Amino acid sequence: MNSHEHERAIDLISRREIEGVTEAEARWLESHLAECGDCSQFELVLGSAEQAMRSFTVMASGSLVASTQSRVHARAVQLRERDSRRFLIAISFAMGVVFSTLSAWAWWEVGGWMVERLSLPPAIVGPGMVFFWLLPAVLLGILLLAFPESKFEGSVMHLLMKDRQRGIQ
Amino acid sequence: MMETEEAQIATGLRRRDPDVLDALIEQYQHRLLRYLIHLTGDRATAEDLFQETWIRVLEKGHQYDGKSRFATWLMTIAHNVAIDHLRKRRPASLDEMREAEDTAPFEPVSDGPSPFEQVAALEDRVRIQAALEQIPAIFREVLALRFQEQMKLEEIAKLINIPLATVKTRLYRGVMALRPNLMGGAK
Repeated sequence: MNSHEHERAIDLISRREIEGVTEAEARWLESHLAECGDCSQFELVLGSAEQAMRSFTVMASGSLVASTQSRVHARAVQLRERDSRRFLIAISFAMGVVFSTLSAWAWWEVGGWMVERLSLPPAIVGPGMVFFWLLPAVLLGILLLAFPESKFEGSVMHLLMKDRQRGIQ
Repeated sequence: MMETEEAQIATGLRRRDPDVLDALIEQYQHRLLRYLIHLTGDRATAEDLFQETWIRVLEKGHQYDGKSRFATWLMTIAHNVAIDHLRKRRPASLDEMREAEDTAPFEPVSDGPSPFEQVAALEDRVRIQAALEQIPAIFREVLALRFQEQMKLEEIAKLINIPLATVKTRLYRGVMALRPNLMGGAK
C-alpha cells in the first residue's frame, strides 16, 4: 500500500457523509479499510468527532438577541440618514453646476470687464472662470457637510431629504 | 424553493429591511454564536463579535446576491469580523488564539434517558469540550463548519479563503488531535 492510497482513503472518508462517494469509490474504500489499520482508525475517530461535536449546542440568550436587534435598528437608521445626506449633497452639487453653467456667460463678461479695468494678465481669465464656475457648487457642498441636518429643518432641501428617506424605507 | 428564500433575503438586505434582519438574527442566533465560540474560544468575545457580525451584515447586505446559501455568506462575514478582531487584539495568527480563562463555552444538552446515561454523556461532552479547547482555532473552525454546519469542503475553503487541500489537512489534523480524547484514552 502506498501513500497515495492512504491519501485517497482519507479523502473519501472525509467526503463520504456530506459530499458523498460513488459506488465504485465506496467499494474501493471498504476493501482498503479492511486492510489498513491507520485509515480504519481515522474513520472511527472522524465518526466520533462528528457525533461529539453535533451533541454540543449553544444557546444565545434572549438579551443578546434583543440588544443585537436594537443595535442593528439604530445602525440602519444612521445608514439611511447618511444615504439621504449623500443624495442631498449630490442634488445640491448638480444644482450648483446647473446654475453656474447658466451664469457662465455673465461671469465671462464680468471677468473680461475686470481684466480690462484692472489691467490683469489674460492668462488669469481661464483659471478664474473655472474657479467662479465651480464656486457655487463647492460652497453648497461645504455648507451641507459642515452643518448638521437640524440646521436645514423646514427647508426645501430638508423636505427633499425626508422624501428620500421615506423612499428608502 | 431555497433559491426563492435566498433571493428574498438578498432583497431584504439590499433594502436594509428591519423585519428581515430581525428574522435572520432570530433564525441564525444559535448557529452563529456557536461558530464564533469555536473560533474565539471565549463566549464573551463571541457575543461581542455576534453583534458586530450583524452590524456588518447590515452594512454589507447589498453585496449578498442570493445565489449562494445565506448561512455560508453569514459565516464568511463572521469569520472576517473575528479575524479583524484578532488582528486588532493580538498581531499573531489564529493558531495562537486561545483563552485560558474560558472554561465553559458550551452548554451541553441532556439527551440521555436515564440519570446515569446523562452523567456519562455529560462527562463525554466535557471531555470533548476540553479537547476542543486544546486544539488550535484553525482546526476547531474547520471541524465546526464541517460537523456542525454540515458544509462541503469546497464551501469551507471559500469561506476561510484557503486552498481545498489546506481544508483537508486541517480537518485531518483536527480530527487526529481529538483522537486521544475521543478514543477514551489519556493524552
